Amino acid sequence: MLLLARLKIIGHSMEPQIKNGETILVSKIPYWFKTPQINDIVAFKDSSEKILVKRIVKIENRRYFVEGDNKRDSLDSRKFGDISKDKIIGEIIFKL
Amino acid sequence: MKIKNLLKFLPLRIAYAHCDIPCGIYDPHMAQVAAHTVIRMTQLLTDLKSDDPKKTAHDIARMTHVKEEHAGIIEEELETLRNDYFKLEHYQEYANLNELFTSTLKSTSKARQSIDVQAAEETLVGVLQIAEIFYKSKGVTPIRVKSVYPTGGEMVLYK
Repeated sequence: MLLLARLKIIGHSMEPQIKNGETILVSKIPYWFKTPQINDIVAFKDSSEKILVKRIVKIENRRYFVEGDNKRDSLDSRKFGDISKDKIIGEIIFKL
Repeated sequence: MKIKNLLKFLPLRIAYAHCDIPCGIYDPHMAQVAAHTVIRMTQLLTDLKSDDPKKTAHDIARMTHVKEEHAGIIEEELETLRNDYFKLEHYQEYANLNELFTSTLKSTSKARQSIDVQAAEETLVGVLQIAEIFYKSKGVTPIRVKSVYPTGGEMVLYK
């Protein structure tokens, strides 16, 4: 993963914060200086190496529980479980 | 050059914010009904006549609200079909499909921002064409029928 990457969002699970079709900027640089925090919106790789974007809602034993903001319409840790830090490829730093 | 423009040189990758319960239930019907509604609200706004300024203001607010809401439904339904249902092979088979989405979303936006019957009708034309492609991709035969709405336009069904 590059230090900075542009990601085009497909899906509705992060609405209203990030809408379907929007482009965001993700970076791993923030995590050089801090560990991922609750409420960070992160990009991470799932078991099939697909990049997903969700919000960290809980941290336990260095495992991160992520959920979509649009909880009625989101595939997230409620289904696939928590994720480890090494799966997180960066924090969403702003929308383009 | 602005930073935003520089950032455009970064490679663009896809990330999923999935609803991702793969329900497989897609249908262009709602977009069609919403397109007819936008036409009808635009017609009513165009023809609005009243001697009562308070009532006129009230009617304009209500009609504009409904027009806005249904243009939003069109946009949402088309984006779902464009991003979630249609796959690369569809875009290869129907070469004009992506452009059709773009032009229809543009006319939807125009119909939303103005009282423009032509833009509203162009939106319906695009939605009907997308509906036809959708049904073809499902292996059924699309048919056009006259709608039963006061707009008088058509609907695409299938047999």
